[in-house]
Amino acid sequence: MGKLDVEEYGTYDSMVATLLEHKFLPEKEVLQLCERARSLISEESNVHSVRAPVTVVGDIHGQFHDLLEMFKLGGYAPDTNYLFLGDYVDRGYYSVETVTLVVALKVRYPDRVTIIRGNHESRQITQVYGFYDECMRKYGHAGIWKAFTDLFDYMPLTAVIENQIFCPHGGLSPSIDSLEDVRKIDRFQEVPHEGPVCDLVWSDPDDRTGWGMSPRGAGYTFGQDITEQFNHANGLKMIARAHQLVMEGYLPTHDNGLVTIFSAPNYCYRCGNQAAIMEVSETMDTEFLQFDPAPRRGEEQSAAKRCPDYFL
Amino acid sequence: MASDNSEDLFSVAMLIDELKNENVQLRLNSIRRLTTIASALGAERTRSELVPFLTDSNDDEDECLLAIAEEMGNLISKVGGPEHVHCLLAPLENLSTVEETVVREKAVESACKVGAAMTSEGITAHFVPAVQRLASGDWFTARISACGMVAVAYEGCPASEAETRSQLRMTYSKLCADETPMVRRAAAQHLGKFAAVCEPENVKGEIMQLFQQLVQDEQDSVRLLAVEDCAALGKLLPREECVAEIVPTVKKFAADKSWRVRYMVAQQLYSLCESVGADLARTELLQSYEQLLMDNEAEVRIASAGNVAAFVQLVGAAAAGAKIVPRVKDLATDQSQHVRAALASCIMGLAPTMGKDQTIDQLLPVFLTLLKDEFPDVRLNIISKLDQVNQVIGVDLLSQELLPAIKDLAEDIHWRVRLAIIEYIPLLASQMGTAFLFQKGEGDKGGELNALCLQWLGDRVHSIREAAAVNLQKLTEVFGAEWACANILPRVMELMSNNHYLYRTTVVRAMTLLASAVGQEVAMRDIMPALKEATKDKVPNVRFAVAKALGEVAAALDPSVVEGEIKPALLELQQDQDVDVRFYAGQSLQLCDAKLSA
Repeated sequence: MGKLDVEEYGTYDSMVATLLEHKFLPEKEVLQLCERARSLISEESNVHSVRAPVTVVGDIHGQFHDLLEMFKLGGYAPDTNYLFLGDYVDRGYYSVETVTLVVALKVRYPDRVTIIRGNHESRQITQVYGFYDECMRKYGHAGIWKAFTDLFDYMPLTAVIENQIFCPHGGLSPSIDSLEDVRKIDRFQEVPHEGPVCDLVWSDPDDRTGWGMSPRGAGYTFGQDITEQFNHANGLKMIARAHQLVMEGYLPTHDNGLVTIFSAPNYCYRCGNQAAIMEVSETMDTEFLQFDPAPRRGEEQSAAKRCPDYFL
Repeated sequence: MASDNSEDLFSVAMLIDELKNENVQLRLNSIRRLTTIASALGAERTRSELVPFLTDSNDDEDECLLAIAEEMGNLISKVGGPEHVHCLLAPLENLSTVEETVVREKAVESACKVGAAMTSEGITAHFVPAVQRLASGDWFTARISACGMVAVAYEGCPASEAETRSQLRMTYSKLCADETPMVRRAAAQHLGKFAAVCEPENVKGEIMQLFQQLVQDEQDSVRLLAVEDCAALGKLLPREECVAEIVPTVKKFAADKSWRVRYMVAQQLYSLCESVGADLARTELLQSYEQLLMDNEAEVRIASAGNVAAFVQLVGAAAAGAKIVPRVKDLATDQSQHVRAALASCIMGLAPTMGKDQTIDQLLPVFLTLLKDEFPDVRLNIISKLDQVNQVIGVDLLSQELLPAIKDLAEDIHWRVRLAIIEYIPLLASQMGTAFLFQKGEGDKGGELNALCLQWLGDRVHSIREAAAVNLQKLTEVFGAEWACANILPRVMELMSNNHYLYRTTVVRAMTLLASAVGQEVAMRDIMPALKEATKDKVPNVRFAVAKALGEVAAALDPSVVEGEIKPALLELQQDQDVDVRFYAGQSLQLCDAKLSA
């Protein structure tokens, strides 16, 4: 199947339009979407090649309103090209809507939108952090969760922009020295507890040099020396990754050899952080665009009408 | 038919099975389909089997209980007519006593629905006793639920049953004096509803007595609910009673020691003033309103400031000038930004009532202060309501402060503020004309605004760029093609050399919108060449933006131009290496062909 035929565009255009209005897709359409997406992304490389210009988006975590806010700032697909760095689901209240929209955009505009896998795109993690429960609540059974988690196994592990910016969700791995090593991985499986696949979605940069134990219990921490060596060996300008909450929405580190991008503002509706996206221009200049949570108009107004009930 | 039936029965049997399933989700699904189950069982079995079963499933999860409470209200038509409806009361009576508030409230709501569907015999025989049982329940939850059901019982009970009605009034009076504050709170909350179904003489007598008692309750949470009764009772009482009984209470409430009570008054005061009429509002209640505008608590000032225009309109210019305008002046420099924002959102509404002279003397300084407020929402609220002032005094008097305020907002760090001001520019322009806004004048103020409108096209936020393009189109519609050619088009074209694709896409968008506003001649002479150039852009996104644009532009052009200029460009784009460019070129070609064949 691979890419859509022109005759199929209409179906997927209307799916995207429905989702942008924050309405549900019927179960049948979601299953059809997952099926199409699987056949499409299974053909993509473990290191999916992305052309500049492109806008890079970090963790979203089911904060659907904030994803819509992000589109308002960054522009809508396909007019703006997007690379999503994973963690579409869990924590926020709208994982189903978020992941469905991102996947629908991917299927409809495969050349304009790239998606890769985050550590939350996993059967185990989603059962603990909300996506499973949300699917049960919204669709009444686990079928939708199963369709999506099956799809997650096929998501590319990393992307590389114009062979200059390497983009994993988490970070580097001691078992990986080159992009070629990543390309050789057999990725079609649940995220394992250890090994290169696990490290790519779980690892974090650190101030200490060398490899270190990760406090997360999966992946490693890696120092500036590791980043520099990897970038040098692979002819890279920079690593752009997500995976960690940073208060400004983005944080360059390792002497600008690596940048963290986090795109869920006020993470978990309580962290008070800004979010950001990274715009890579056609000349490979990078600029960051920060944003705050979308105003929740309806809630605000109904809250204002109620008598303040601080002490009730 | 037969097989259909058995299949139906099978699925109903499954639903019934699942009512007892261990899985909450499955139970919930079944409960949500109780009406289907009841239809399949028929009225008699619903009464004799389903309802008793539901009566017993009292110790379920709150989620299920809530669903049962709701669905019971939908079973009314499934139990075999009004004379049988009362069977639904038993389970609802049980649910009205549970600990979880939402379940209880839903049960009371459904019970009231059931009551409304009952015959008057049924009410006296079943509903009233149920209410009395709840009202004398040991646990306060039952008594709370009783408060919400008394009105329905009273209304359904025929007037001839004077004894029963009198007992119900006694019951309510006991509930109003209940030892548990939560019960008194519920009684206060439902007093208006109960009063509405009582005989007028009882409203004047017993109900007012209860009201006076609740008004003096030691708990502020009870008193604040009694505030809401003021307006409800005010509407039921004859005017002189209202003045004698309700107005003094409102005045007392307005000075209550609890700010939450005063906040309620601030919210309710206007509707009460409306029901007592302008004269009494002026003589009796205006002073209370004035006090509330000066309240210590910001929340109270916000609630009262938001009503200021309505109040001024009600009491008239003279009274407002003496009592309200001085307070408004204070509020304009209130320490809370939210108070100032609330004031700014409605202060312009004072102008029509106050008239030209007073507006200039008294209010103009306040407008100017608010236009210079440090908090953007305040300035924005003022600017978005300028039209109200414009009708009374014209905006010229504000112009000195207006332009700097617009400029500040135009560069605000919050993009929604920028968006709001952009969207307001065309209206402002149509009211004030080009001379004021855009042509070079003293100090080149007009030129500045002109520059801003172009600057927005290069904003970092997509929504602002999009709005900027639309703004230019609207301004061109107001001021005409000549103005656009002189002031806008050349500058827009320059922006096409930006080295970031998102900005070039915006320029394409702006050119598309302008093309329809300037007419074919200018469009072909000044815009088409740039669009054609853009079909060779190195970034596919720009190329398909042009592909889309050409289809839109074609709609406003002559067929010969579409055939000669637009179609060839699109045919070339259809050979593009990028699939999306080819697709959008194809779409636009279809639009062109549709136009040509029409």
